[in-house]
Amino acid sequence: MSETRSYKAQKLVERLQVKVNRQIMLSLEACVHCGLCTDQCHYVLSNPGDVTYAPAYKADRIRKLFKAHIDWTGKTLPWWVGAKSVYTDQELEDLKDTVFGKCTNCRRCSLNCPMGVDMAVFNRMARGLLVHVGVMPEGVAVVAKDQWEIGNQMGVLKEDYLETLTWMEEELQSEYNDHSIRIPIDKMDADVVYSINPREAKYDPRTIAEAAAIFHFAGENWTMPSQGWDMTNFGLFNGDDELGGAVGGRLYDAVERLRGKKLVISECGHGFRSTRCEAPNWGKRDVAFPMESAVITMLGYIKQGRIQVDKSKNSEPVTYHDSCNNARSCGMTEEPRELLNLVCSDFREMHPNRAENFCCTGGGGAMSMTEYAPRRLKSARIKADQLKATGAKIVVTSCHNCVDGLFDLIKHYKLDMQVKLLVNLVASALVVPERPSRKMRPLEGYKILVIDDEPDIRVYLGKIFKDQGCLVTEAPDANQGMRAIKADRPDLVTLDLILPYMTGEKLYWELRKDQKTADLPVVIVSGYAAVDSPRIDFFGFLAEKRLPQPNGFLEKPVDPEKLIETVRAVLLEKA
Amino acid sequence: MELDTTSPLLHFAEDKLQIFALSFKALVYILKIRWILKFPAGKDRQAPGGSPDTSAQKGAIHSLFNIALPWEMASTRQHPFFYVQFVIFHIGVAASILMSLLIPYVPEWIAGRAAVVALQSIFAAAFLVGLVRMARRLTDPYIRGISTPDDYFSLALLVVWLGFSFLAAPNDRQSGEWPLLAYFFLTAFFLVYVPFSKISHYLFYPFARWYLGRTLGHRGVYPVKSGARA
Ligand code: SF4
Ligand code: SF4
Repeated sequence: MSETRSYKAQKLVERLQVKVNRQIMLSLEACVHCGLCTDQCHYVLSNPGDVTYAPAYKADRIRKLFKAHIDWTGKTLPWWVGAKSVYTDQELEDLKDTVFGKCTNCRRCSLNCPMGVDMAVFNRMARGLLVHVGVMPEGVAVVAKDQWEIGNQMGVLKEDYLETLTWMEEELQSEYNDHSIRIPIDKMDADVVYSINPREAKYDPRTIAEAAAIFHFAGENWTMPSQGWDMTNFGLFNGDDELGGAVGGRLYDAVERLRGKKLVISECGHGFRSTRCEAPNWGKRDVAFPMESAVITMLGYIKQGRIQVDKSKNSEPVTYHDSCNNARSCGMTEEPRELLNLVCSDFREMHPNRAENFCCTGGGGAMSMTEYAPRRLKSARIKADQLKATGAKIVVTSCHNCVDGLFDLIKHYKLDMQVKLLVNLVASALVVPERPSRKMRPLEGYKILVIDDEPDIRVYLGKIFKDQGCLVTEAPDANQGMRAIKADRPDLVTLDLILPYMTGEKLYWELRKDQKTADLPVVIVSGYAAVDSPRIDFFGFLAEKRLPQPNGFLEKPVDPEKLIETVRAVLLEKA
Repeated sequence: MELDTTSPLLHFAEDKLQIFALSFKALVYILKIRWILKFPAGKDRQAPGGSPDTSAQKGAIHSLFNIALPWEMASTRQHPFFYVQFVIFHIGVAASILMSLLIPYVPEWIAGRAAVVALQSIFAAAFLVGLVRMARRLTDPYIRGISTPDDYFSLALLVVWLGFSFLAAPNDRQSGEWPLLAYFFLTAFFLVYVPFSKISHYLFYPFARWYLGRTLGHRGVYPVKSGARA
């Protein structure tokens, strides 16, 4: 064979020397070729007789390279220990077929190797080497590009994300007939910053609404960031540490910018693993705030009595699929079961389970590699058998990626089963507390923003509203008022007309111009008469700009009863 | 006093040659450990908020002793016969190395009939296991697919060495020195060859398991939750 290497092969070999750390080197050295891991891989079990699926065989495609360039014996006597370098682009394509197409990095073999060989870790490294030289499945390139450039794996634009949140908020409000249910965006100093998988914004927004309902009924002080909200991380799948570090960093920045106390990660195995355990290492960044999976948050709410659930509302037989990343890389196996037993009445264990569960076969980014779909579905037979044996009608998982993987295989193997997330079950088991009577506290739960430059007036109006059970925020000028509206949309704004920097009428104009705030109820509370003020002609301004009338107009000094009556009428009309 | 009839060649083989081979092996091992440590260790940063009942250290210790807990891994649980073979084979190898130190320096410790029978039983069992393993490596397509010349040679070397260990165990120089000579020359070759072959896996074992256990312990995977075996 010619000793000349293609450009890509040369670059890959150079990169290899940089990427092998101590843990990877040990895993590459320690294998004794005992074969004990062979039948622990779902690919092997579903494709009997095909040795190319055996974990150690796949590992050796990478090990050969390591031996050829780094290992002592391999460099001296390559044939003796099976060392072999790469020379051609075709060899790189063959390596791609193995590391992307024949392994989901599920770590099942790693946990079953007596030597502690962590196949999944160096398989990821090999993916990174190939990505470095531009050899990867097309889907992997597309998703990584979206995450680099748009900030999330599914290319969801900021406007679409924010619109989805508003849409879900409105749905919730009408579903529960409760206008105090909010999806607060960019709220400062929240106890919980909630991050999601872009799949939720794009295909499954109901899960956002369900989580919001749970947060609301738990009385949580929470928010969602307007940017840096994607907790998934394609860097885990394509082996690109730079991407992984950057993606994690965006989320950490968002939490720090909002001064959030805790990051809660919605149900996603690889997102949870990457955000909590891997991205701090990829990005070489120590993260001081705690992070937890939404599974643990929901379980905590039930245990602390912050939400009530009725398990009889989920009576169909349910089984649980442990996501590989949650179970084998994050140790989260007991909490989901505890939660399931609280929210459904017929939970059946799948076997094997927990850290021994089989991959959904859609892991490791497999869902984005369409060229390997037939192979993936064929290799899913073992998972299909596992599911069928439970007799369950619903398979629950705590991973959006697994939802897609399981959905595909259920369709392929014609299983009579639905796939759900834990949040779906918790939300459907929720016992919604009776709302306090509106007669007693007519404005209970509504959010009112008071915009007035006089501190005394703000305190006075705020007190009147608080006495009625409102949640009150204040702003001393129009700019701050606008920011407060954007960060956490109130149910109603009381607006003074004479304000520093920007007048109240200008702010009113801005609000009505913007589609998102055009229908936000505004009650003008001003010291100037409506028509004949020498300083301001508000109604003239409305006419000139063809703006609708405000929802209410009150002159200072304000009579408390009149204020409550006006605000109440506006809110009831809106509801 | 009994006359020492041992040939100079056997004297050399059981003493100086062994010391040389051991020293060589030790030197290569020191270099190998230096080499391992040259690779930067990946860090285990992690956000707070994990499982309270596990830690990196607990995980590392659990991982180190994982091999002694065959019920822990599905692979060893599902293949008990393989695990028993593993135990017998490794006991055989350890016993043979020990014997190579006892015969030249404290032969009286293994001079009794019971000790000889015990050693020979271990070597015979390990030898048979070695043959089974060789048959498996030659016939099982999965194992054949991952086997290198070093894998075959290392196993063959150990099987032959265990065979000679069996013959050398009585330490009966009067009946002929050849089993002892073969045993000691093979031991020396084994010691020199080990650092360059897969047999040196035990050098990597503690490091590999420590790091894997440290990571998995930190994250709450190790010790593995018993529910998985239910
Ligand atoms: S990876 Fe582990 S279990 Fe698999 S062949 Fe190598 S040493 Fe054996
Ligand atoms: S990590 Fe999973 S998919 Fe990959 S070889 Fe191991 S068991 Fe198979």
